[in-house]
Amino acid sequence: MASAYLTHQQKVLRLYKKSLRHLESWCIFRDKYRFYACMLRARFDENKNEKDMVKATMLLKAGEEEFWTNQHPQPYIFPDSPGGTSYERYECYKVPEWVLEHWHPSEKAMYPDYFAKREQWKKLRMQSWDKEVAQLEAETPPGGPRTEALPPARKEGDLPPLWWQFVTRPRERPT
Amino acid sequence: MHPTSLMMTSSLIIIFVILTYPVLTTLSPRPQDPHWALSHVKTAVKLAFFVSLLPLFLFLNEGLETIITNWNWMNTATFDINISLKFDHYSVIFTPIALYVTWSILEFASWYMHADPDMNRFFKYLLIFLITMIILVTANNMFQLFIGWEGVGIMSFLLIGWWHGRADANTAALQAVLYNRIGDIGLIFFMAWVAMNLNSWEMQQMFAVAKDMDLTYPLLGLIIAATGKSAQFGLHPWLPSAMEGPTPVSALLHSSTMVVAGIFLLIRMSPLMENNQTALTTCLCLGALTTLFTATCALTQNDIKKIVAFSTSSQLGLMMVTIGLNQPQLAFLHICTHAFFKAMLFLCSGSIIHSLNDEQDIRKMGGMHRLTPFTSSCLTIGSLALTGTPFLAGFFSKDAIIEALNTSYLNAWALALTLLATSFTAVYSLRVIYFVSMGHPRFNPLSPINENNPTVINPIKRLAWGSIIAGLLITSNIIPIKTPIMSMPAVLKLAALTVTILGLLLALELATLTNKQFKPTPTLTPHHFSNMLGFFPTIIHRLTPKLNLFLGQAIASQTIDQTWLEKSGPKALTNLNLPMITTTSNIQQGLIKTYLSLFLLTLTLALLISY
Repeated sequence: MASAYLTHQQKVLRLYKKSLRHLESWCIFRDKYRFYACMLRARFDENKNEKDMVKATMLLKAGEEEFWTNQHPQPYIFPDSPGGTSYERYECYKVPEWVLEHWHPSEKAMYPDYFAKREQWKKLRMQSWDKEVAQLEAETPPGGPRTEALPPARKEGDLPPLWWQFVTRPRERPT
Repeated sequence: MHPTSLMMTSSLIIIFVILTYPVLTTLSPRPQDPHWALSHVKTAVKLAFFVSLLPLFLFLNEGLETIITNWNWMNTATFDINISLKFDHYSVIFTPIALYVTWSILEFASWYMHADPDMNRFFKYLLIFLITMIILVTANNMFQLFIGWEGVGIMSFLLIGWWHGRADANTAALQAVLYNRIGDIGLIFFMAWVAMNLNSWEMQQMFAVAKDMDLTYPLLGLIIAATGKSAQFGLHPWLPSAMEGPTPVSALLHSSTMVVAGIFLLIRMSPLMENNQTALTTCLCLGALTTLFTATCALTQNDIKKIVAFSTSSQLGLMMVTIGLNQPQLAFLHICTHAFFKAMLFLCSGSIIHSLNDEQDIRKMGGMHRLTPFTSSCLTIGSLALTGTPFLAGFFSKDAIIEALNTSYLNAWALALTLLATSFTAVYSLRVIYFVSMGHPRFNPLSPINENNPTVINPIKRLAWGSIIAGLLITSNIIPIKTPIMSMPAVLKLAALTVTILGLLLALELATLTNKQFKPTPTLTPHHFSNMLGFFPTIIHRLTPKLNLFLGQAIASQTIDQTWLEKSGPKALTNLNLPMITTTSNIQQGLIKTYLSLFLLTLTLALLISY
């Protein structure tokens, strides 16, 4: 169960990964990158059996500071990642599902099977809505939800809460 | 009417009709043909290009220039505004070039944007942009030029923010509009000054009446307008941010046509600038600073489109330098040749980006010469033309500019900056080719890469032809207005070539060093200065809003609340009265002695006053 605080191991691993990524941004050719990545791994491995937590935290802090001074100002970001060149590019083509309600009957008549099935799905949604809300109200802690993750369905035959939004989400790449 | 002038005027009007027709077809309520973009727009531009060759040949053969006044729009007793098209040397040559480049880009865009559901709207925007650009270029009066100026600005906004679901694209579009608006302040100031003092916005009258006037202020306004539109130093950050738009937009607007509008304005107004040394020196120094600064920024960028964008900005600085040397025709020549190879560089990079599934970072490209030999060859040809390789297109304009700079007795500092920027051009061009075409691929082989689509290859081929022969064609057929200096010491003549070769050798050395990589990170300070674009956007984009917000807060809380409430209103009254009240209430101590002494005091005073 994840909490708001990171463990020491998580912090070290995060530092390792981001320093590898920034090293990749600096060392463009893979063989040179592999060499310096191995050197970096050796530096991390040197201190991996440190038992004194104070010293370990001081080493981590020194590592973070070294990272900060040596980071790349334009690290390589994958195009679809946040900050990348094609991130959210197709958001403007993502249409919500309720638009289908507003189709003209002549347009709906072009896909009779789909819309017939859609009516059944909508009925299922109406039926399970109260149970979903009840489950969410029961499971939310008093101070408000801690994470964005939704709980799974607990009882047999129930649907997970807010399943409609998930099932009818637009495609990742509409075009 | 003489048949030649009839042919000229009618073909020019036909160009406008051909280009506006597809836009008008979109107004009809009929559902649009999905192939409208290709069948209507591309055909219209192609046809308009071939029609525009007729006025071009008439001009080359007979020196025929036309001014067509179509419509008396708003005419008062003292001021006329007409729809008036001027087809002189500059617009007659620029229009076919713009149409040729646009034709190639539209054909490329039909491949690049084929998966886009709104491709028809995209082509419509590009066509409206082209129409407004031609309005700007052929304007004979400032009002029409301003219509074109604003039109290209608006279309730039719409096209940069094409993928409006992306926050960065919206920010970039807004940035373009704001920076251009600041430039517009200069243009409007110029127009106002001219309307008041020269009493007309028609160019002929402006040039005739302004012969002996001191034009420093309006010319500075014009220079500010050109700084905004042509991304000179100070108002330049919008151009690299504009790379958020799709590659056809970058190729058309932000390399060949829209960004040269500022320089074109200065070229049009060159008769006004000829005798004003302040304006010329400002242009020279601003251009030199721009060309060096943006070339420095281009050295360490990793996004291929940003490198080409900074390269465009650097060449625009060079055009500004040429204007500062009082050589408008040479600047115009550079606009024409630059359009070809820069558009081709963008199309090649767009082809590579699409083949690699939207990968724009050169750190993850490589080995494209084996995978896409034609595209990488054209990238090389474009880069060679950009650096001024002898006898390619860029050589005729760039070398002439550097020669003129060398042989003029003007600012040596500007000369040094420009030569340094020329060497940097070679450095970053080699950097692009080294990381993109040479070596081994540094990306995953996720999809097959091929060049078998003629919609991509034909436009690049056409632009490659243009990059190779355009310089030769234009210089062979145009009679120069100013005599170029023909004899100069060999050192000056070969300066540009020497500096470029030195830059190339330096870049090769740096590439070898990168290959060996003796340490993981380079010397950080100069790298960071170049990579973070001189920290200019970092500072300006945070400082200006912060100052504005603080000013707003100061006005709201101090000027309004504090002044009216505390210093002059209710609280002031309180502060005035409170000491008196406290003194008076402190006197009421409840002691008989105090009351008796007060009574005696008041009685004495009353007796003294009455007597």
